[in-house]
Order: sequence, then C-alpha cells, then structure tokens
Amino acid sequence: MDTPAHASRPSVWQDLRRNTRLFFEGALLSYIALFRWLRPITYLASKVFMPLWQMLFFSLLGMFASAQEPTYYVIGNAMQITAVSGIFGVTMSIGGDRWEGTLPYLFGTPANRMSMVLGRAFFHILDGMLGVVLAFGWGVLLLGLNLSQTDPLALAVVVLASTISTAGLGLLLGCLSLITLNVMFVNNTVYFLLLVFSGANIPIATLPAWMQAVSFVLPLTRGIAAARLVIEGASLRSVTPLIAGELVIGAIYALLGYYLFRAFELQAKKRGTLEAF
Amino acid sequence: MNRELRGNLRAAVAAGEMALRSNVMDSFVLFGLLVQPLVIAVLALWMLQDRGDNYAIYVVVGSGLTGLWSTLLFVSGNGITAERWTGTLEWLTSVPTPLTWIILGKTVANVTQSLISMVAAYVLASLLFGYPLSVSQPILFLVSIVLMLLSFVAFGMLIAPAFVLNPDVQRWQNAMEFPVYILAGFLFPIALLPGWTTPISYLLAPYWAARALHITSSLQGGTTEILASWGMLLVLTGVYFLIARRLFRLTLRRARQDATLGVQ
Repeated sequence: MDTPAHASRPSVWQDLRRNTRLFFEGALLSYIALFRWLRPITYLASKVFMPLWQMLFFSLLGMFASAQEPTYYVIGNAMQITAVSGIFGVTMSIGGDRWEGTLPYLFGTPANRMSMVLGRAFFHILDGMLGVVLAFGWGVLLLGLNLSQTDPLALAVVVLASTISTAGLGLLLGCLSLITLNVMFVNNTVYFLLLVFSGANIPIATLPAWMQAVSFVLPLTRGIAAARLVIEGASLRSVTPLIAGELVIGAIYALLGYYLFRAFELQAKKRGTLEAF
Repeated sequence: MNRELRGNLRAAVAAGEMALRSNVMDSFVLFGLLVQPLVIAVLALWMLQDRGDNYAIYVVVGSGLTGLWSTLLFVSGNGITAERWTGTLEWLTSVPTPLTWIILGKTVANVTQSLISMVAAYVLASLLFGYPLSVSQPILFLVSIVLMLLSFVAFGMLIAPAFVLNPDVQRWQNAMEFPVYILAGFLFPIALLPGWTTPISYLLAPYWAARALHITSSLQGGTTEILASWGMLLVLTGVYFLIARRLFRLTLRRARQDATLGVQ
C-alpha cells in the first residue's frame, strides 16, 4: 500500500526543530574544529594577545601622531578586533569544510542550507564580542580608556550589532573560499583595509569622497562611530540609526554569501567540480 | 675556496632560488611583502601628516621594516617547518649539504626579497601621496641596509629551528608580529613605551636596524649613534648565528634520536 504523501512530509514545527538543531550542532562542531581545543595556546595567541598588540600598536602610533590621549584609537581598534572572529573565524569555518574534505558529505545531506551557512557564524559572533570586551579591558588597564560615561547595555548592543555585521562579511568571504585558493589573501587584505576605511584610525570625514563611499558600504563603520558616541555618554536611542544601519549592512553581506554558497553548490554538482580548485 | 664550501654555497644558492620562485606564487607571502606594509604606510602617512613632510621618509622606512619583519617571522621562521609540510625534510637532511646551508640560502633570499616592502612604500609615498622623499645620508643608509639584512638573516636562522624544537613557540607566531613593530620602534620612538621594555628592545636587532635606518634617512642623530647602532647590529648578528648553530644541531640530533623528523 502506498504511503500518503503528507505522512512523510515533516511539519513546519519538525522542520524548525531540525534546522535549529542543525544550526547549533554545526556551529559548535565547526568552531571546535577550528582551534583544536586540545591546545588552547593557539586561541590565546590569535584571539587574546595578537589583538592586544595590534591595538597597542595603532594606539601608540595615534598618540605619536597627535600627541593626545589615545581614546579615539583605542575605541576604533578595540571595535576592529571583532573582525578577527568575524572575518578569519567565519571564513575558516566555512572553508574548513572544503579543505578537510567534509563538504561533499554536507552537500549530500538534505540539510537546510541557510541554517548550515549562518550556523558557521554563530560562535564567532559570541567569540568576537568576547574579543571586543577583552580589548576594551586592555584599553582601560593599559591605555587609560575612560568608560565612566558609558551605558553598558548600549555598548553591548553596539558591539553585538558590529560583530554580527562583520560576521556577515565573513560569510561572504567564507563562501569565496569555496571558489578560490587565495581566500586568505583576500581575508587579510579586507581585514587590513578595514583599519583604513572603517574609521578605526582615520576620521572618515577626512577621507576623499571615493573612500568615504567605500566606508559607507562596509561593516564596522557605523559600529565604531556608535561606540565612540556611547563611550562619550550617548544613549542607546540616539545611536539606534547607526546600529540599524550596521545590521542592514551585515544582513546584505550574509545574504550575498548565502546565495554564493547556493550557486557554488549548484555549479559544483552540475559540473562535478566539488573538489576541484 | 675549497670544494666542500663551493658545493655548500651552490646548494644554498639553489635553495634560495627555489624559495624565491615559490614565494612569487604564494599569495600569503605577497600579502606580507606588499599589501600589509602598504596599508600600514597609508595609515601612518595619514596619521602623521601633521608632523610635516620629513616624516614621510620615516614612514617609508618604518612601514618597509614591518614588511621585512612579518616576512621574516612567517616565511623564514617556517623555513624548516615548511619542508616538513611538503615532505622534503627527510631528503634534505640526508644529502651531503648540511641543512644549515640550505636554510641559510632560503633565508638570505627571503630577507633580500623583503626589501620590496620598503621600495613599495617609497613608491606609494612618492607617487601617490606626492611627498618629496630623499635619504639624508645615502651611503650610510646603504651600509645600514646591508647590516640590517645580515642581522635579519641571523634572526631568521635563529627562529627557524626554535619553531621546530618547540611547536608551542610557533603557536605564538601570530602574536609575535606586532610586538616587534612596537618594541623595535619602527613607526614611533620607544620612548612612548614604559621604561621596563627598553632592555627588551635593546636585545632585538630590528630595533637597532630601525634606529640606524631612521637616523641615516631622516638625519635625526649623529655619527656616534649610527656607529653604536651598527656595532650592536654586528654583535647581535654574531650572537644570533651562534645560538642558531647550536639550535640546528639540537634540532637534527633530537629529530634523529626521536625519529620525529617528518612528524608535526
């Protein structure tokens, strides 16, 4: 006797539960695989000390340049630390499936692709937030950053929005790693260009028009501006437009990444180029 | 020149040539050589523009040095490890040429090639930003460049076996890049740092190299300071080579005893 079609089709609720599980399991496993947690030194070196030194370098350069308090540079570079997780972490989580040979298995499953792709960013968003908190901590301890006027909730929301938007860019770059071998070159370049274009070190108003246009479409630009305002004492409500802009930018990059991922899967299956670089 | 030395030199030159050929195809090396120093140069030129035109040459030298150090750390530092990754280390240790000569050839090639960073920063500051650039004491600057290259080669020979002997040290590689930018005073004086860090700077050849190059390029000091920097560069080069020699012996002995030559 034939089984009725509706009997084998999962309900919306079952679908949602399955995709949520896929999202979190994929997120956790890809994150654990990235740092091979048996040796936490790699994490400490890449996620705690490298960002500290980078922030110190640019803050000291800023102090030398302007002979002023380094607050401007500390905030900009502390916020920029989120790109370590957002760009490198997310990219390597997605690219890792191809480098380690697990991508064909993933493409062979009926798993929801949106959950799969977005899940790769989840832990890096949490991790990126932690990185920014650490960076602000370093700023307070070593460079005299004053947070006495800051609304902690507003700053947390700004950091979360900036981390999400940077992870959105990371998703797009990560999907690029499925079609090129040079993704680390692209990643590193984007990461360093953010130091110039995001306003972390140079006030955007002083940049030429074309550079301001580039800044406008990048993540972090609005997040850094919002963080500076919040640390000066601005309320969450007053920086809401900046936060919303940051989230929209992040969503656009994440969607572009998702469509690139789908396009890659389609092409790879059609042409048999899944493991060809 | 005796036959053995000639053979070793020929092998070192061949290893250097191979290193250059593979570097040209390696986008990570190209990033370290060109993109990163140029972005740092752009940032520094922008941030230091209020300090006047004479800071442009300071930025060119400083950002060029960042490229030299990053390439030394990530390319020369991996000089032996990279052979492990490609499975050629066992062969290299069983040929008549000592491994030291082969890694020396690679390191000399890598470090010399890294001078591109400084040339690129010069072109950027001069053509794109239109700064009038001139080196105030060209001959002394050239001597400083040669001594800097020697000391960087010695440093590369030191870290390559150190990374193999203790992989935990290599795991800090990512966190070792910016500290040297800071402690060596590539783009700002170390007077900005707390006093307790000064002795650490003095132990770093990149600090003395930066000092000699900054003084001879932008006339910020006298002959005594230049000579002192050169002297320290020579002393540190000698010390680094001596330590490197011991580390190479230790690396090979331990790898053969433990049968871990090709093991990560």
